[in-house]
Amino acid sequence: MLDTLTAIPGRLYVVATLLPLAAFALLLLAGTVRALAGPPYRRPGRGGAYLVLAAMAASAALGVTGLVTFLNDPAHLTHEETALSARWSERVDWVRVGRIDPTIPGSPALSTPALALELGYRIDHLTALLFAMITVVGTLIVLFSLGYMAGETEPTVEDHEVDRQAHARRPAALGGGHDTTPPLFEGERPPPHPTHFHRRGRFGRFFLYLALFAFSMLNLVIADNLLQIFVGWELVGVCSFFLIGFNYERPSAARAATKAFLMNRVGDAGFLVAILIAWSAFGTLNVRDIASTFAGGPPPMLSYPLWIVMGVGLFLGCVGKSAQMPLHTWLPDAMEGPTPVSALIHAATMVAAGVYLVGRCYALFAPEVLLGIAYTGAVTLFVAATIALVQTDIKRVLAFSTVSQLGYMMLALGVGGWVAGLLHLLTHAFFKALLFLGAGSVIHGCHHEQDLRRMGGLAAKMRVTAATMLVGVLAIAGTPLLSGWYSKDQVLNAALAFAHDRPEHLALFVLPLVTAGLTAFYMARLWFLAFTGTPRDRHVFDHAAESPPVMTLPLVVLAAFSVGVAWGWPPWDADASYLGKLLHESRPSTVADAGGGNHLLAGGLALLAAASGFGFAALRYWKRETVPSAGPPSGARRFLLHKWYFDELYDRVFVRPAVTVSRLAGAFDKRPTGDAEPARSRVDGGTLDGWLNAVGQGAAAAGRSLRRVQTGRLRGYVLVLALTAVAMLGILTALAG
Amino acid sequence: MSELGPTPFLILAAFLFACGVVCVAAKRNAIGILMGVELVLNAANLNLVTFARFDPRFRLEGQVFALLVVVLAAAEAAVALAIVLNFYNTHTTVDVDDGNELKG
Repeated sequence: MLDTLTAIPGRLYVVATLLPLAAFALLLLAGTVRALAGPPYRRPGRGGAYLVLAAMAASAALGVTGLVTFLNDPAHLTHEETALSARWSERVDWVRVGRIDPTIPGSPALSTPALALELGYRIDHLTALLFAMITVVGTLIVLFSLGYMAGETEPTVEDHEVDRQAHARRPAALGGGHDTTPPLFEGERPPPHPTHFHRRGRFGRFFLYLALFAFSMLNLVIADNLLQIFVGWELVGVCSFFLIGFNYERPSAARAATKAFLMNRVGDAGFLVAILIAWSAFGTLNVRDIASTFAGGPPPMLSYPLWIVMGVGLFLGCVGKSAQMPLHTWLPDAMEGPTPVSALIHAATMVAAGVYLVGRCYALFAPEVLLGIAYTGAVTLFVAATIALVQTDIKRVLAFSTVSQLGYMMLALGVGGWVAGLLHLLTHAFFKALLFLGAGSVIHGCHHEQDLRRMGGLAAKMRVTAATMLVGVLAIAGTPLLSGWYSKDQVLNAALAFAHDRPEHLALFVLPLVTAGLTAFYMARLWFLAFTGTPRDRHVFDHAAESPPVMTLPLVVLAAFSVGVAWGWPPWDADASYLGKLLHESRPSTVADAGGGNHLLAGGLALLAAASGFGFAALRYWKRETVPSAGPPSGARRFLLHKWYFDELYDRVFVRPAVTVSRLAGAFDKRPTGDAEPARSRVDGGTLDGWLNAVGQGAAAAGRSLRRVQTGRLRGYVLVLALTAVAMLGILTALAG
Repeated sequence: MSELGPTPFLILAAFLFACGVVCVAAKRNAIGILMGVELVLNAANLNLVTFARFDPRFRLEGQVFALLVVVLAAAEAAVALAIVLNFYNTHTTVDVDDGNELKG
């Protein structure tokens, strides 16, 4: 065992990937056995959660060991490509397809050696770093979840939200536009409810999903071919679906889960098209093999339009997964999931998978597609940031912030800042996980209060949470020497260099620069509203309490990472980041070095924007008692509160037509009148059901009438037999004659 | 003898067959039905030996099959009589019209 691991240390990663899968399988088995064999229902156990935590911790240990081993690998130090590949990558045939035996004459000759779907892994700097990040953050979040989900260990859990929503209007986002009751603004006091919804605690199920997610995500990261990435891609998607809909009794959660799933399908269709194009053009799905054919410009077997289509398709997949415009609307709704899920899946790892894929397949994108990526990112980061300015739900602010930061990463990749984009991915994962877990701690401490308008002054009650969240806020705002500064500085620098070379694309630098200020503003606003000033809701404040150590410990660790993960020497030089240097190593050779640009100018402007944003927020919200957005919102504010009317637009353009078509199809399929009495005949000639019922009822009627022939009288049978024989004889004779 | 063609034999066989069928169809007594079946079988047998005699192509086959039918009729009678006995045990009659339990 140890010998194989030393000979091929890449297998460390395989083991680390399979550990969460093993935990998932064990939990699933145990749950099934318990459901089948045990008494009808017991209190949810904690054992499964500890198992998942142990598996994740072991994965993290292996991931970090793997990273250290990789960086100190002798083959790596001497840049021996083949030796490195031999030790850090493997591939086996998974399914053989289209095998042609050349000895058989007449078998069609294949132009490409597309013979097998492969399974394989390949470790490079990007993979190793991402793997370590995912496992470490994942472990911390699982640890946090032990505390956050403690309520789920009760035999019965009361879900007030279900009752509240049962009495409130359904949000118009998905098809429920036929009620006339007025909408319930977010955070408005719920109407008094006569019922109390109870359900069983789901402690184990949560960790089951987390384990499956961890496996899928790690599989996605270490995979060396597009198909395996796609498998992981879909698996994380379905885990996201499960976890967003964790409280599936709430209509909003069920709708959000469906929305996320459908939105992702739109993107995945593009991804699938890209995979098929790659398969037919290159005959392999191995990313490295495909990329190597691009070494000297676009390869001859791929026509230029197909190249564009493949790039757009791949990027469409990334747009869906990373919640870029115009498929971004699912991510804010995904905040219906429990907060640790938002931190792990919808901030740190899964949504970054799109960015990772763009980075991984960088060589496959035509210059035009890259420009499209840059503009998508730029527009997304700006739009999402403006929406985040006015949100009052603490998690939604963070959700739009995530969309915005993902836009930064896409922008960086689009303008050629490969290292900048992926560095921002890594640093963002840490500080956004920190911010989400901090928000989770606030929500937990305030007994599931998410509305910023009812918080305030919480710093006195929740010291650790407030301090760690401040670190996160400063990091995302781009305060010098914190991790976010290094990455954002590089992103802006890449954008500036691009805009410098091609002045017509100046917007690609201006938008992120302005957004840097907006980012600082809304993050500072969030922190001031939650933690400073006088309490705006006495009830919430009085019952608020600091979270248990099992939840604050991950916060502290993540805060430490958020500060120092990108440090290098000298620390005041944004380019000296050690993490950035490591990423530089696995930069695809086709990428031109995105140096140049006026570094001081970009950094200085960004710092100025961030400082003014932060200052403005402090001026407006620090120590103020005013509740933001009191009174009816004005024009621009309403525009932002409605999130640029994207949901309304999609509702009109896609959802309502789909619902209408469904209704029509339903009318065609069902009886037009819903008669209550069980009619004997349900034949209605005008509908599909009517026809099908007519066929069935005709057969039944034939059977009913034919059974009278079966009299049971032997003599009758014989008579019929004889007469039939005679008749047939007569017919035959007549025909022959 | 040699001037007699196959026709009279075939007519006789057809007549026997018709008798057998009428007997099976008309009788209510199970034993009577069995006798009718025997008649039908023997009508077929008569056909077989007739063709064996008058058609040189079936010289051997006709006789062999006639023997086969005789054996078959014996077996059939044995089985059918067992059924009739059982029928009698359960219904205390051999009237086949009483055996209508499988009526649809």
